[in-house]
Amino acid sequence: MNIDIIPIEAELRQDALLSWLNQPGKRLGLITSIDGGQIVTLLLDTADSAATLWESKISDCKYNSLTPRITQAHWMERTMWDMFGLEPNHHPRLKHNLLHEPYEEKFYPLRKDNDVVAPSGHRQYHSLKVKGDGIYEIPVGPIHAGIIEPGHFHFSCVGEIIFNLEIRLGYVHRGIEKRLAELNWKKQRFLVEAAASDSAAAYALAHAVALESSIDLIVPEKAQHLRSLALEIERVAMHISDLTGLAADVGFLAISSSLGRLRGASLGMAELVSGNRFLKGFICPGGVIQDPDNNLSKLKAKAKNLQKELEPVIRYFLTNQVVLDRMENIGKVSERLAKDFGLVGVAGRASNQEYDARHHFSAGVYPLLKPAIVLETEGDVFCRAKVRVAELVNSLAFIDMLLETMPSGLHCTNMPDVLRANAVGLGIVEAHRGELIHLVFTDEQGNCKRYAIKDPSVNNWTGLAIAARNNLVSDFPLCNKSFSLSYSGHDL
Amino acid sequence: MLRLLGYLLKNGVATSKEYCPSPGEEVIGLPKLASNNCIGSECSKCSDICPTEAISVLDGGPNANLELDLGKCIGCAMCIRVCPEKTFSSNATTQTAAENRKSLVLSTKALDTQAVNDIEEVRSPFARSVACRVVSTGCSACDLELSAASNSIFDMERFGIQIVASPRFADVLLVTGPVPKAMHAALKSCYDAMAEPKRVIAVGTCAISGGLHVSGYAEANGIADILPVDVYIPGCPPHPWSIIDGIRKVMR
Repeated sequence: MNIDIIPIEAELRQDALLSWLNQPGKRLGLITSIDGGQIVTLLLDTADSAATLWESKISDCKYNSLTPRITQAHWMERTMWDMFGLEPNHHPRLKHNLLHEPYEEKFYPLRKDNDVVAPSGHRQYHSLKVKGDGIYEIPVGPIHAGIIEPGHFHFSCVGEIIFNLEIRLGYVHRGIEKRLAELNWKKQRFLVEAAASDSAAAYALAHAVALESSIDLIVPEKAQHLRSLALEIERVAMHISDLTGLAADVGFLAISSSLGRLRGASLGMAELVSGNRFLKGFICPGGVIQDPDNNLSKLKAKAKNLQKELEPVIRYFLTNQVVLDRMENIGKVSERLAKDFGLVGVAGRASNQEYDARHHFSAGVYPLLKPAIVLETEGDVFCRAKVRVAELVNSLAFIDMLLETMPSGLHCTNMPDVLRANAVGLGIVEAHRGELIHLVFTDEQGNCKRYAIKDPSVNNWTGLAIAARNNLVSDFPLCNKSFSLSYSGHDL
Repeated sequence: MLRLLGYLLKNGVATSKEYCPSPGEEVIGLPKLASNNCIGSECSKCSDICPTEAISVLDGGPNANLELDLGKCIGCAMCIRVCPEKTFSSNATTQTAAENRKSLVLSTKALDTQAVNDIEEVRSPFARSVACRVVSTGCSACDLELSAASNSIFDMERFGIQIVASPRFADVLLVTGPVPKAMHAALKSCYDAMAEPKRVIAVGTCAISGGLHVSGYAEANGIADILPVDVYIPGCPPHPWSIIDGIRKVMR
């Protein structure tokens, strides 16, 4: 994909971005920086499958925040403050996002010159205080009661009702973006996959597409098919896993244990393609690492069987009266807020946001071949469950179609030893959670100087905070599961 | 509801009858070292391509001395793919856990000790059942495999292994992930809250050595510097059987 790079003054961004977002099909992809001397804003045009990059020079580490008028910028501006020391003026709730108190005050890991003066108290974190009669606080985490990644939830409640939820992340910040910029591109893919391993195929694909787009490399048709096959298998496995969690959270154990067993079948499909239950190591820049031709007939039979086995389980699940009582009208996100906060993936589509990166941006066989977009309008837990179910069914049918139309030929083409100098690469992939963006910048020698990742969860964590409002505390686990967000993909 | 019961009965028992069955041919396991035609530093393809520096080439060939640290290995299989002498091959076993960090280091000079089983003769206080608390500090792959170990196929509760919701109830602390800086304090307080006697198990390569994240500014170097470790379960992520087999090591 070609990216137009347009210089623009930082102060002009707000009006320009507002008018951009008011046009149908236009989105904000990502706001970040390369080395702290500029802000780059990635704009996506889904109608034309085009991307534009605004570059705005910043000299004194300060700029006017977009957040007061463009709400979805709030999270990315906080991250930029942490990683580059760029301070947004008038940000309504500026606090650190990724770097917690144990880090030194003046430490900005992605900044080239580390001489910015941090405001004092930069590392201190204060949760939003809710005042009033009968308000009480429930702090939960970072360690949770089950087998879940770490994060802190701060509930302010009135009786049993959640008045406000503040989510604090960053507990699994491992410094992945910095390490990626230090590694040779040949070793990047392993770290990229480990950023959020439940989306390993999507991460590997976004990485491969980003590098290939920076050197205009065309990948063989067979590799494209196999990449999409891997991505859809991952979607099937994770959608089943998320539905398992929903069934467990409403206490419907017959369904959760049946789905848990069927998830095993989808991991078996992953092994047939890649030798790994998480599809790790399969997708690489240039194509895929091995040709699973001999296993494809077995895979076809497995996919067919899974399709058959899932049907009754899903039917029993979605028609059960207790399930409907627990899920309908719970954890609602309105269409307007979904748009304002730029929700993506299942959560976005459950609130009538018609966006599926497989339809708009090229990666694997998409958008040449693509499953239909599944939309719901109510934006509640049940809608998110229904979107998952429909996408699961579509993906299994799509896997069958990919296997039917599998072309012959090479599964991989050669990559050059060194990437192109001063190039930009962009990969946009619809992971099972939604839009995943990888953005790569190379320096004069063709080494990677900045590797930026935007996980779908970056958009959607705020969605969860909105969904939980005015719901019962006891419904929070269900809301949380219906979003099924990544901590590690967000924290990096 | 009757139809659902009928469905469940028709599907029967899903639980695997075998303990740690061999995985299918297509599965790529952790590597093992085979008969040694390795020319070591004259080739070095394996150590060059390894993303986690798990392979040390100690001298030149023939019959070179080469070490592979499974505690650092993420099982990417690149060494198997690039080795011209087939010194590396996929090890089709899920019984990979060890109680000794050193026994995760394989060597071409000691090929017969690859299945080291260093059982101590001391009887474990948790011989029949063990309550485990999970602290996740990583990318969720190990967490998903831990959850899978409780599903109806692996069903680890039949071995007396239970996951509990508080460190106060726990005998064993299972740690996944490389423990980045922001989790150091939380992990320590969780360990301190556990009653004696207690054990710690490092689940996955990240928890053992930091894996891909080692030596960064986030100090995500695994748990070895923070807590005493009793069992190491290598893999990225380890298979549910590996996890069950590893937990059972504190039970005998």
